[in-house]
Amino acid sequence: MTPDAPPLLEVRNLSIRVANARSNLVDDVSFSLQPGRTLCIVGESGCGKSQTALALMGLLASPPLSVTGGTALFNGRDLLSLPQAEKQRIRGDRMAMIFQEPMSSLNPVLRIGEQIAEAVRRHRGVSNSVARARALEMLEKVRIPAAGKRLDEFPHQLSGGMRQRAMIAMALANDPELLLADEPTTALDVTIQAQILDLMRTLQAELGTAMILITHDLGVVAEMADEVAVMYAGRIVEIGATQDIFDDPQHPYTIGLMSSMPALGRRSERLVTIPGRVPSATDMPDGCRFASRCPFRIGICARTPELSNPGGSHRVACWRAPIEETYLQPQEAQPA
Amino acid sequence: MLSFIGRRILIAIPTVLLISVFVFFMQKLLPGDPVLALAGEDRNPEILEFLREKYRLNDPLYVQYFTWIGNALQGDLGISLRTQQPVLTLIGQKLPVTIQLAVMALIIAIVIGVPAGIVSAYRKGTWVDWLANILALSGLSVPNFWLGIMLILLVSVKLGWLPASGYQPFLDDPLQSIRTMLMPAFVLGTGLAATLMRHTRSAMLGVLKSDYVRTARAKGLSETTVVVKHALRNALVPIVTVVTLLFGELLAGAVLTEQIFTIPGFGKLVVDAVFNRDYAVVQGIVLCTAIAFIAMNILADALYRVLNPRMRNS
Ligand SMILES: Nc1ncnc2c1ncn2[C@@H]1O[C@H](COP(=O)(O)OP(=O)(O)O)[C@@H](O)[C@H]1O
Ligand SMILES: [Mg+2]
Repeated sequence: MTPDAPPLLEVRNLSIRVANARSNLVDDVSFSLQPGRTLCIVGESGCGKSQTALALMGLLASPPLSVTGGTALFNGRDLLSLPQAEKQRIRGDRMAMIFQEPMSSLNPVLRIGEQIAEAVRRHRGVSNSVARARALEMLEKVRIPAAGKRLDEFPHQLSGGMRQRAMIAMALANDPELLLADEPTTALDVTIQAQILDLMRTLQAELGTAMILITHDLGVVAEMADEVAVMYAGRIVEIGATQDIFDDPQHPYTIGLMSSMPALGRRSERLVTIPGRVPSATDMPDGCRFASRCPFRIGICARTPELSNPGGSHRVACWRAPIEETYLQPQEAQPA
Repeated sequence: MLSFIGRRILIAIPTVLLISVFVFFMQKLLPGDPVLALAGEDRNPEILEFLREKYRLNDPLYVQYFTWIGNALQGDLGISLRTQQPVLTLIGQKLPVTIQLAVMALIIAIVIGVPAGIVSAYRKGTWVDWLANILALSGLSVPNFWLGIMLILLVSVKLGWLPASGYQPFLDDPLQSIRTMLMPAFVLGTGLAATLMRHTRSAMLGVLKSDYVRTARAKGLSETTVVVKHALRNALVPIVTVVTLLFGELLAGAVLTEQIFTIPGFGKLVVDAVFNRDYAVVQGIVLCTAIAFIAMNILADALYRVLNPRMRNS
């Protein structure tokens, strides 16, 4: 990756708010993405991952949600301030999204083929038969068995994994430059999850699509991401290259997340869970939002920490970073 | 699909028979003697007895029932005691009038109610939504007879645009027929439109929040496509249910509306027959209405299957 190449997507200071709330649901989120790369946004459920992606797509449920600040330059144009007609021209064409729930995200009364073909017709202005041929090609590409037959089936006739494949086919039908995937495998069986992730990686390599992959699963991150953004309570608390973050997590929240992950965490840290609760999305504390749960809290944490690069490898928003590993686990001292 | 409809019709047969038994015996339990009504002032016992014999009213009840239902199965619903015309002929004359009124009212209700429901759901909480809801509430609370009389006074008496009453058979002069029926159909249709609007609104509100509508938007489809192709198609299932349920209300309303606009339809036939204890006519009418209801339900179920692919191969 050449650092000087213009990013495909450059999000700056994105904030989202619920009407009448006293704090932002998503607060001051910034990241950028190079063409063809994968950024994973990881964090607990409710931390604002989906809303971030929906805001980029222009699909926030407004009211009550609305973007209250920031820009998102996609190929140099600000997605957040585009008029409706322009947004419609971009989404489903240059950028596409797949959702967590394959069961409810497909229209139950329309045939699979039509649901893919309509996106092709809309953006390429091609005839019905050309769009249908493209739909078939896409279904084959996502390796749905008996693709020709599936074209004329309805969503309820497909298994969960098949539906998610169909969603992927639909999203990639117009060769988008950017794919937003919001927990695409969370609702699926473990074996199917691996297959779908594998498929997404293969297609991404083949088509050169950049991807923002939302997940709460660090295993998925390790497997898929070039870069990681760790979100906590609506803010990015740590962001950088995947390897750097796994090798040297610096934010207490990231460290906690990794500790609770059996496959990667070290044995002594495995049983650690982060005490306390996530603050309410509509009523966030001032200052560091993790402070109330943080064992390293000090006075200055009442002020909001900015992302900075104290450890030299990647950026983290914590006054105490980098935290010495030896501080990590008070329980470590006691014999297990 | 055809085998489905066939099955439904087979199931409907015992239902219709049960209704026929019920209607027949209920009628016999009612006070009043049809022969007295028929003979009028002349209470000569011999004549009364003659009439009873003629109409086989002296047979045991079950014999009377089987005679009636046996004939009915062959398309003979008996003779009206009062007019001496075959019941089937009477129904055949009056039913098309009421069907025309009901169909026109339903079209008006759908044309007003469904778009209003869609718009007020789509613009939920805006002044459009408020306006639609206020109009719907007024539509529901204004009694038909009052609206009918006001319309007659305004549109017919004062402006002279449409005839105040009467009936023109559709096949003789379709345009004039529609003109004559327009006001009654409007009166009957507005109340239904209000009900339909409220149900459409709530069905659409649910559907517009759904994940697949979000997916449709994510494809960059136009809002019109999203609302009509993706949302409305799904909301139609509950809407069709409501239309089926409205059918009863529609018939009851038609009877009343026909009285206001002096339309010689089913309503007048029913009222006259009940007051004159014209058994054969009442029984025939109830039987026909019951069959119409069952047919409507079968039609609605068939429509579900068209609208809802999940039901098709079950
Ligand atoms: N329509 C809404 N109105 C109010 N709050 C909402 C709405 N949708 C989502 N939220 C809030 O936004 C927060 C972030 O949600 P989301 O981005 O979906 O989280 P996740 O990281 O699990 O994807 C949640 O706490 C949720 O309560
Ligand atoms: Mg989510």
